[in-house]
Amino acid sequence: MSQPTDSVLLKDETWERVDKATGGAAAPCFQCGVCTAICPLGLVKGETISIRKIVRQAQLGLPGWADGLWECTTCLWCESRCPHEVDITKAILGLRQLAWKEREVPEGLPTLLWDIYFDGNSWGRPPSERPLWAKDKAIKEFSPSDEILLYVGDDAAYDRRIQKVAHALVALLEAAGVTFGTLGEREPHCGDAVRSLGHEEYVAEIIESNAQLFQEAGVKTMVTVSPHCYDMFANRYPHFSDDFRPLHYSLYLLELINGERLKFEKELPLKVTYHDPCYLSRRNGICDEPRQVLESIPGLQLVEMERSRDDTLCCGGGGGRMWMETAAGERFSDLRVKEAAETGAEVVVTCCPHCITCLEDSLSQVGKSKLRVMDLAEVAHLALQS
Amino acid sequence: MTKSLYGAKEAKAIWVYLEQDEGRLESVSLELIGKAHELAEAQGIPVVGALLGDQVSSLAQEAIAAGADEVRVAEHPLLRQYTTDGYSKVFTELILKGKPDILLLGATPNGRDLAGRIAVRLRTGLTADCTDLKLEDKTGLLIGEVTGFGGGILAYIKCPDNRPQMATVRPGVFAVPEPETSRKGKVVSVPVELAEEDIKVQVLEHAVGGGVDITRAQVLVAAGRGCGGDFSLVNELAGLLEGEVGVSRVPVDEGWASRDRMIGQTGYVTRPKLAIVCGISGAFQFTVGVEKAEAIVAVNIDPDAPIFEQADYCIVDDMFNVLPPLIEAVKKARGGNGGR
Repeated sequence: MSQPTDSVLLKDETWERVDKATGGAAAPCFQCGVCTAICPLGLVKGETISIRKIVRQAQLGLPGWADGLWECTTCLWCESRCPHEVDITKAILGLRQLAWKEREVPEGLPTLLWDIYFDGNSWGRPPSERPLWAKDKAIKEFSPSDEILLYVGDDAAYDRRIQKVAHALVALLEAAGVTFGTLGEREPHCGDAVRSLGHEEYVAEIIESNAQLFQEAGVKTMVTVSPHCYDMFANRYPHFSDDFRPLHYSLYLLELINGERLKFEKELPLKVTYHDPCYLSRRNGICDEPRQVLESIPGLQLVEMERSRDDTLCCGGGGGRMWMETAAGERFSDLRVKEAAETGAEVVVTCCPHCITCLEDSLSQVGKSKLRVMDLAEVAHLALQS
Repeated sequence: MTKSLYGAKEAKAIWVYLEQDEGRLESVSLELIGKAHELAEAQGIPVVGALLGDQVSSLAQEAIAAGADEVRVAEHPLLRQYTTDGYSKVFTELILKGKPDILLLGATPNGRDLAGRIAVRLRTGLTADCTDLKLEDKTGLLIGEVTGFGGGILAYIKCPDNRPQMATVRPGVFAVPEPETSRKGKVVSVPVELAEEDIKVQVLEHAVGGGVDITRAQVLVAAGRGCGGDFSLVNELAGLLEGEVGVSRVPVDEGWASRDRMIGQTGYVTRPKLAIVCGISGAFQFTVGVEKAEAIVAVNIDPDAPIFEQADYCIVDDMFNVLPPLIEAVKKARGGNGGR
């Protein structure tokens, strides 16, 4: 009898490590494979990443790293269709955590974590430059008597493109008479990049020290530019006081509109389509609020793409993919700008820095010259000025 | 800590490993001779080159012209091609006889390989991949500058107790000195004991790869969408400036350039002395990979291109108008002092 050539040996020790790292998230999976079939990577690649296989690996504690472990953008499409409600993201991040321990992570990612460790941001920029996005504006240091803390985030603080989003948001807050401040140079990295790359221990440290900082600063309502920061504060941070209320800015703008503090009186004749960021829509069920902000602008026409709301197509920047290279031809955002252009909209509106970066990058490549990418805050600011 | 095989008191001279391949000296070896000469002069100690190979003694004069006071030549037919075993054995013996205070090697693939072995055999420390060298003011100890944590920090490392104080240095950090052909030095031939059994590796084929490492380049000429796939001028300028060609993401996407030349967040973070950035608009994800350059010259046809916010020198024009006269000017300047 010939020896089986591709059998694998299961080791209890490995199984225990994997089970611990993934928190047993994979256990409920009955291997139906819906996740693999629906993974949007199938739209841009010949085949999807085999999520079913990754989950099976986590169930059995198989050694080695599954193909595609680092390709996942944590867009949550698979989980939204999973009949057994498996926390697939948790399983994937758990396996990434083990990869860190084995020092088998893609090139460049250790540098990213060191950047965050030394400089407090994911772009390796000096912490002293963090407040420079607002150098022409009189933005004060947050005090507990302020209505909100504006949490700017790494992207809006350092990326010149996303700084414009923060500028628009500040103009809206000022127009509504909101009292607000920022933490300036003290503002920390929220931890999203670290978490989505699976470095669980480090993100736990970040969360602990940040939560203490926010508590000591007297933070109550906290408004973020990025849905990723929002997701961290809303779902991963301890709610250190009953008053702690993290909000993505789209939610806060809607509050200001509903409270009649922010009003768009002039017409803005613009045909737009709205791209739902995964971290708002699928992850946090926030689909209506950004649309309601858009609909409150007179003259603005909102048309929908086929894949919208809970069925949105990821821009490709989540799950730490912003810091990894995605090969040409495999970028979701290339498809997305085509879908946006097909609606006949002049502008694709979104409200996530990663989405803006990816969509604009694809737009310059694909060259849909009539279409522009704008942030929700920029559109609202334009409506205020028009 | 492990005791080194000889002490600081017996140690003398700065040694430089003269790496040769097929009878040609690596330019980093001459760069290091030049730097060693500068450091040694201040201390009043000699610079010794160590040359290993087969029938290579004719290269000794090149090292002397660059600043070596003495060259020790170890020749043997089995040293014709680099092998870790053979070179480690012969070089270790050479070092134990000469007892250098400082030993410098180029951070080339073979130099790195050899340095690690030697350091362990000599029970001493090795500061790998230095980007600068100096001697400490009072003690005269060697201080190597290295980048740590993926380029995030600069660290200064010394080896106070053990000898030799070893360092590998990236090629291109120091300039190759002008050869002083009249310079005199001693050439000492040392006997070599080496048998075939000492070498466990058999070299089947010797090939030089075309790999690039833009993170080490002192000069980068970078091009993006604006070059339209035509790299002729960019290549020429990079060649003249002894630099490398870097690219933004578009040329990689378009298949004009390979990924190992990509600058940026998902490419490589570089820190050249000079970056000439042509036809690249300068999205944030690109500029994070080049902003540590000491000087950035940006050439772009679009006056609103964000790259101009980062650049030290801004030229608003088509790169195809700017580069030809620049290339001519560099050629002229190079021609003027006899070229290199």
